[in-house]
Amino acid sequence: MNNIIEVKNLTKQYKTLTAVDNLSFNVKEGEILGLLGPNGSGKTTTINCILSLLNYQKGTIKIFGKEMKPDSYDIKSKIGVIFQDVAVFEELTVYDNIDYFCGLYIKDKKKRKEYINDAINLVGLNEFKKFYPKQLSGGLLRRLNIACGIAHKPKLIFLDEPTVAVDPQSRNNILDNIKTLRNQGTTIVYTTHYMEEVEILCDEIIILDKGKILAKGTLDELKEYASIEEKITVEINDLKEEIIEEIKEFKNVDKISYERNILLITYKKGKNNLGELIDYLKSKKVKYNKIFSERPTLNDVFLELTGKELRD
Amino acid sequence: MLYHNLKYSLKVLLKNKGLIFWTFAFPIILAIFFKLAFSDIENKEKLDIINIAVINNEEYNSDEIFKNTFAELSNKDSENYMLNITYTDLSKSKKMLDNNEITGYLLFSNNEVNIIVKNNGINETILRYIVDEIQSNKEIINNLIENEIRENNNFSIDYKTITENVKKQVLDNNIKLNNISNKNLSYTMIEFYTVIAMACLYGAMLSMYIVNMKLPNMSNVGKRISISPSNKNKIILGSLFASYILELIGISILLIFTSLILKVDYGNNLPLVFLTAIVGSLAGLSLGLFLATVIKTNENAKIGILISVTMLECFLSGMMGITMKYIIDKNIPIINKINPANMITDALYSLYYYDSLKRYSLNILSLLIFSIILIVISYITLRRQKYDSI
Repeated sequence: MNNIIEVKNLTKQYKTLTAVDNLSFNVKEGEILGLLGPNGSGKTTTINCILSLLNYQKGTIKIFGKEMKPDSYDIKSKIGVIFQDVAVFEELTVYDNIDYFCGLYIKDKKKRKEYINDAINLVGLNEFKKFYPKQLSGGLLRRLNIACGIAHKPKLIFLDEPTVAVDPQSRNNILDNIKTLRNQGTTIVYTTHYMEEVEILCDEIIILDKGKILAKGTLDELKEYASIEEKITVEINDLKEEIIEEIKEFKNVDKISYERNILLITYKKGKNNLGELIDYLKSKKVKYNKIFSERPTLNDVFLELTGKELRD
Repeated sequence: MLYHNLKYSLKVLLKNKGLIFWTFAFPIILAIFFKLAFSDIENKEKLDIINIAVINNEEYNSDEIFKNTFAELSNKDSENYMLNITYTDLSKSKKMLDNNEITGYLLFSNNEVNIIVKNNGINETILRYIVDEIQSNKEIINNLIENEIRENNNFSIDYKTITENVKKQVLDNNIKLNNISNKNLSYTMIEFYTVIAMACLYGAMLSMYIVNMKLPNMSNVGKRISISPSNKNKIILGSLFASYILELIGISILLIFTSLILKVDYGNNLPLVFLTAIVGSLAGLSLGLFLATVIKTNENAKIGILISVTMLECFLSGMMGITMKYIIDKNIPIINKINPANMITDALYSLYYYDSLKRYSLNILSLLIFSIILIVISYITLRRQKYDSI
């Protein structure tokens, strides 16, 4: 697959602060690249540099094989952007807002009307066409924000934290829309600090912190960074200390803790750890309410790489 | 693209109630307020005859123009009667002033007319205004005298005949000296002119708001527009056209309302009054563009700056009383020369009071230069396509 975006050695400084530090990555056609990192990690700045909105000190940026400049109108015509902050006119209706932004790309009125209706259908704003933004809930407003960014059917879409502060229903709708767009062959760059979204959506993931790439790869590749392989959580009332000590001696156990009736065991590696634990508890006639096993998450990877939680 | 932006900019501006209030309704409300507040004062003032003293020295007696004009203005049988003049000496004049018997006295000395007043009230302002008006027309009158001498080819012509001819010219309305008469003097007129100036400059809110919306370093909508394949200049131009159209509609409504309903007298040259409004609105438009593009602060702060600057400019050009305009004109004339509110006010004022369009044209030219300077600075700023931070 072709590279749709090629970023090499991108560096952006605000006076003494290095917001983006020597970033290099590619985005392939049709894939969803997730930029994952806490607030202030440089995700939005990276996007703004790619879009030629911001000056940067070093690096090259190519989109669709051409150098991206502020007057690269041929490139811009194939790009759609959904910014973190809602970017719509308060004085225009839902329909007029989409028409205005779509009109900046599509001159043909008939074609534009068709595109607008497609966008409205996609985000589910059919009943709200004549509503003004202030009449919409936060979630619906985010959907309008998306419709304004994608109505012209771009080949490349940047979504900058599109699900911040939205209700679960709208969030699911937005994630479904993104999947639909991906299925239509659109290349997407998706920034978020919600690791679950990245896990669900992204083909490739870049973990950013303080403007630097900490790790990049597929979800499975990134999970290799985690030193643990399995986490088992058991809800037990009044667990005796001697049993905890015995479990500690199990092969592959890395850490163990027991707080508020929750026993948490992390394993470095190994298979059938859950079965072994269930058998042991049964043999000791220990009764438990719940028991479940988890694979390491991106948060564990982030914790491993930075020593802090993703949402710190 | 131009039409697309024009259409939606109009929609955005028309839907913004705050902007519509400040640019359409507020000047009309202010004009009504002025009418209610000042019409009574003006009526009262019309009944007042101002008592003054003139030092009856040799220099005064040799100044035929002042002498004749004062004779007319103090003639009880004349419709121009507005001054009760006592011709006396300096010591008596001082005494009269101390005893509040007169508003002030005039001392003609070293080719200058010295106005000595005790207070800074309306009568004092009118007195200053009268003397100023006569002074400013003296040059024109002297030219007329010279012409009279040349045409008659008689250097020993009887001075009385010349004065009569001059008076005839004056009465023929070639020079509107009679405008300073009691019948026509309306110093509150200047307040209405400043309302027109304010309305023109408040139009800046429209251009500032809509251009602000289109700039990536000023709004999120601007960021979205900036990454579109549309030419930024065309987008800004469409927005400016929209705000200019609305400005012109607003100012036309104000002119029609003040003229027909409030009976504000704009003189006989209505096309030039409208030209003043058109050029004044351009100055407002460019001020808004300048604030949007050059000043780096949030929109509310910009509106605060705009309202403060506009109100100050209107105040200096006489909105709260013609005395201020007089003081600035006399003491710091440069302020009013670069003050767009004063340019508009003065253009309307000169259109009403003078037959000659010299002063009017100068004001219109100054407004155009003011607008061009702001537009050029804004354009240079707009040419930047990338930002250090947004």
